[in-house]
Amino acid sequence: MAYLTQPDYIKYVCSCGQLKPITNLYFCRHCLKIRCGFCICHEVDSHYCANCLENMPSSEARLKKNRCSSCFDCPSCFHTLSTRATIAQPRQDPAAGDAKIENKQPKKMYYLSCFNCRWTSRDVGIPDQPVASGGWPERTNPFAARVNQLLDYYKAIAQQEKQEKLDRERKKFAIRGKYMNLTDKTGLTGAMARNIAGLASSESSSSAIANFVPSQASEEVEELPEDYHTQEVNLKQITSMRQRLRAAEWQPRSAARLQPAARALSVKRSQRCRACDHNLTKPEYNPGSVKFKIELLAYYHVPEVKIISYETVKPGETTALLLKLTNPTAHEMQVRLLQPQDVPEVEEREEPKSIEKSLEKSLNLEKDSSWSKVLQRRAALPTACAVRAPDAALTLAQRDDAAEYDDDPQHDTSDIIMWRKSNKLALRLQVATAAGAAPGGPARAALALQYSYRNTVPPAAAAPAPRDHTLYTTLVIHLGTVAE
Amino acid sequence: MSQNIKILPGATVCEDCTLEGDITIGGGTVIHPRVTIIADGGPIIIAEYCIIEEYSTIIHKKSDKQENPPKPLFIGAHNVFEVGCRLESSFGHIGESNVFECRSFVGVNVKIGSGCVIGAACNLTVTQTLADNTVIWGSEHHNREALEKQPSQLLQLDFLSKVMPNYHRLRKPNVHKRLPSRQSQEISK
Ligand SMILES: [Zn+2]
Ligand SMILES: [Zn+2]
Ligand SMILES: [Zn+2]
Ligand SMILES: [Zn+2]
Repeated sequence: MAYLTQPDYIKYVCSCGQLKPITNLYFCRHCLKIRCGFCICHEVDSHYCANCLENMPSSEARLKKNRCSSCFDCPSCFHTLSTRATIAQPRQDPAAGDAKIENKQPKKMYYLSCFNCRWTSRDVGIPDQPVASGGWPERTNPFAARVNQLLDYYKAIAQQEKQEKLDRERKKFAIRGKYMNLTDKTGLTGAMARNIAGLASSESSSSAIANFVPSQASEEVEELPEDYHTQEVNLKQITSMRQRLRAAEWQPRSAARLQPAARALSVKRSQRCRACDHNLTKPEYNPGSVKFKIELLAYYHVPEVKIISYETVKPGETTALLLKLTNPTAHEMQVRLLQPQDVPEVEEREEPKSIEKSLEKSLNLEKDSSWSKVLQRRAALPTACAVRAPDAALTLAQRDDAAEYDDDPQHDTSDIIMWRKSNKLALRLQVATAAGAAPGGPARAALALQYSYRNTVPPAAAAPAPRDHTLYTTLVIHLGTVAE
Repeated sequence: MSQNIKILPGATVCEDCTLEGDITIGGGTVIHPRVTIIADGGPIIIAEYCIIEEYSTIIHKKSDKQENPPKPLFIGAHNVFEVGCRLESSFGHIGESNVFECRSFVGVNVKIGSGCVIGAACNLTVTQTLADNTVIWGSEHHNREALEKQPSQLLQLDFLSKVMPNYHRLRKPNVHKRLPSRQSQEISK
């Protein structure tokens, strides 16, 4: 809960150099590295509506413009609309009154209503519907034809450009005749297939380009109404900018023209480590489930550090800092506090390449690893404050859910350990602040942890990987502001 | 302070609530437990078919220029006061079919028409007049005008007046005949 409602006092350094709280980080068990949302691959698994929890294949979702066909959002406050039932009374509908009196049976009628701002579909004159879901009048975009025309045009242009690029590429390959064999066998066959398809459709695309009429700017503009400047403005009848932009197709100006908007779909996504292509998270397919099939969160693998309390940081002085360490794993953990500069450089070990793997890589152009050079950078660690790390290995017991109920902490005699309780450990540390630290500025200290980690991934049959690893992580502790 | 609580027949008033001063509660109105109604600056008259939920507070505040005899605060029919709302009006009249949502606050100088909705946790403190069918919602106090009044809560009232006696001690109606003056709308016998 504290992670949701409070600022992030402790941030971990991701292997890409970003600073994130532990709850926003992932831990790849195959690379044994911390990953974050910025440096992993996001994939859309499935589309669903968060209101009615209906699943939708992506092709259908695209067809429906990524919107649910049975749920609506309030056009006034964007909350989800609910369907409400009323017993139709002749009084409510004077036009059809006589007919209703004749068949005296009370009939259920439905309308849409917002529980937040109390907007109803009756407010804008949408007639009540005899069925609970569906049947709501659909408004067509007055510019639908033009929009489609534009879409076709740009698609055709994209197609044409692709074609030209392909032709150029082919020429290049033709010169380097030597490689023709390999590319023929692998990459180019797909391209050629597309090529053929492109040729077939190029006729229609060229016609779309030829028949396209660009928009014309006209000199004459409709006059403003006479009373434009004198009419009193009633803000309750005018839509806000957000309301207009929400309905981009018709952008209603008056509140009486607002229409229920079909609810946008949500996606379930899985996340993948970019370095080893293993899944970091994979949700269950069922939209109603919030569980994961794979859930490699840093919170379950990396020792968690929390601040218990600290003395106000003053320039040139040493102040106390109380930290709590938690071992989230099911194995005992050896933790050692280090200075960030003492963390050994991890050399990028090139994994022994098999022929198939390198071939696969060469085919898959998107799996280019140059991204990592672009993304990865060193985090700028604060230097003004330094945590005095005692050179001692601390043992953190494994997580034991039963021990939660065991609530008398053991007091240790050690001068840095205050107490231990099952898998938790409280430390008393000193923070030395440089004399030159700017008063009023943020007080931040960097600290590195060396911890032992037991990998429970069943090792590949060919190469039994070592089970126990020594890993490092660096974190930045926010200690308020530097005092005067 | 003089205690003069008049409960008309058909009203459901729980015993566990604070009623101070000259208060009249109309028939069909349901007052939940832990409600506070204080008629400090003059009598409070609550009309028929109102729902006043737990922890709501209605205060008729004493104003500086007190009239003599003090002006009553009249709360129209079909008003709903949701859990934890607070109304501190010194204007003589609150319309009907208003909804005061959970933890809303209506200050002293706010005049309220009919069919208004004061959204959850909305604070109205500035001197203002809410036109009929005004809806206020959200932390930014957006407002809009509804086309019609809020639907009445008759089903809910019916249910509450049946269920409440099973679980709470109630105050007994103490007025058995039509009131001679003031509000003389229909009172179910
Ligand atoms: Zn990985
Ligand atoms: Zn990262
Ligand atoms: Zn839906
Ligand atoms: Zn709404």
